[in-house]
Amino acid sequence: MKNIVIQTLLILTVAFSTLNAEYSKPVKVPSITYPLEFDKNFRVIQRNCQWCHSFGYITNQGKQSQEFWRASVVKMRDVYKAPITKADEEAIVEYLFKHYGNGKLK
Amino acid sequence: MQRREFLKTSLVASTVLLGLPLGASQIRQPLDNYKISKYIFPEKNPLIAHSDRPPLLETPRSSFTSAITSNKDFFVRWHSPKIKTHTFISGYRIAISGEVNEPLYISLDSLKNDFEAVEITAVLQCGGNSRSAFVPTTSGIQWGSGAMGCAKWRGARLKEVLKKAGLKSDAKWINFNGSDEAAFYKAPRLIRELKIDEIDDNIIIAYEMNGEDLPYLNGYPVRLVIPGWYSDSWVKMLSEIRVTKDYRPLYYMDSAYTVPDNETESESHDKPAKKRKPITTVNTKSYIGFPTRDTKVKANENTTLKGVAFDGGSGIKEVLISADKGKTWEKSKLGKELSKFAFREFEYNFQPKHSGKLTLMAKAVNNLGEEQPFAHEVLWNKGGYKYNGIDSVTFEVVK
Ligand code: HEC
Repeated sequence: MKNIVIQTLLILTVAFSTLNAEYSKPVKVPSITYPLEFDKNFRVIQRNCQWCHSFGYITNQGKQSQEFWRASVVKMRDVYKAPITKADEEAIVEYLFKHYGNGKLK
Repeated sequence: MQRREFLKTSLVASTVLLGLPLGASQIRQPLDNYKISKYIFPEKNPLIAHSDRPPLLETPRSSFTSAITSNKDFFVRWHSPKIKTHTFISGYRIAISGEVNEPLYISLDSLKNDFEAVEITAVLQCGGNSRSAFVPTTSGIQWGSGAMGCAKWRGARLKEVLKKAGLKSDAKWINFNGSDEAAFYKAPRLIRELKIDEIDDNIIIAYEMNGEDLPYLNGYPVRLVIPGWYSDSWVKMLSEIRVTKDYRPLYYMDSAYTVPDNETESESHDKPAKKRKPITTVNTKSYIGFPTRDTKVKANENTTLKGVAFDGGSGIKEVLISADKGKTWEKSKLGKELSKFAFREFEYNFQPKHSGKLTLMAKAVNNLGEEQPFAHEVLWNKGGYKYNGIDSVTFEVVK
């Protein structure tokens, strides 16, 4: 019993000290899939919406109005400088409102 | 047609039942049903994972029964999808430049050995903590109430570090930058600015959190600690301190992490306030850690409610508990005060008489006499910042 405790303790300490002493290797942050609905516009989302953050940012918002999603996409372009074309903007808003909309325009 | 009629009347009826005048704020309790992720992040227990890239990890309610949040449970809020990993910590430097007599490059060793080590226990809370309470929904991550924690921080006083570099007489502003870099080279960077007279003895450059190195995801090797202020000012992986004569306009201070610069710090959805100010000081808040919505409590048995309360530095005077939706309140028992800036534990013994759902509420009052408003009394701001409504937990009482 005691033996096991000591062994786990040892492993824990080693893991901990390699992480904290020197980051000789990149620290591995797990990669999580935040699944989004699939449809004809999905690739427009893939192309535009995953350089700067995960899809978790989108699913975390909950069901929202069309105006909300429009403002969100426009903010990505105007504030964070995402190069989103006008045509893509329309497809993205349509997609987000269809799958993550609350049915209200405003 | 008939159905629609029905919906309309039931809506009116429920508004009246809740005792709210029509047209009152729709602000509600923050979301409390996020699931704990099965993915584990380095040096962390399983937490609520809103995003992996950048990591956005929220602490579950059940951790808030204790004045100290463990490093493994401590929330994580990063802005950048790519976090710097330091290959040689021995080569890590904090550069101090600008309006100083002697630019410095301070190593971690020097920070630990050449300056007095000071300790302060303080709450770190995201300005957007509890944002999911706001209706209409504001932009930003829809946090529940777990984007906060309290730790014992140890480090060197910022004042002493600046003194070593020697401030020039026209120095007015201090800029802080860390490795939480912008996602895209054209996007604004997360830099904070403090006015020189805002710097007091409590502000430290911390290299320890609860007696250990800072977890990597909480800003290892060093972060700024500004007790009483929201976390956007607690720059992580601090690497650059620049002293300037003039204020530099900054996106995150002038636009992003701001509230309206008016008395109630509020605005309406149609008319956002133009004049804004950084969010800075934390307001009075309490949060129940036990019971939670998943707890089953036995009728006719003693149970102890536990939680934490805090404010921006005056300290907590009392925490009141209500079992009748806020009509009457009773005092809870407060734990020891670890510091004016720390979580203060509170406890309340109760014995439910009947089985079924029971709701308990907690309301903190600080030493300035400021108390938490009901959720529906909280005023709206477009960033969804500074929510501090009275907490409410509904759980099941069983025979
Ligand atoms: C150029 C980088 C970039 C791109 C591309 C981008 N975003 Fe963002 N996005 C950001 C940044 C930066 C934030 C704020 C990050 C933070 O505070 O954690 C953000 C935040 C968000 C949020 C959270 C709410 C908010 O307003 O902060 C949502 C939702 C979002 N983005 C959706 C999208 C969608 C949809 C797309 C594709 C159209 C997209 N983003 C593309 C940079 C980008």
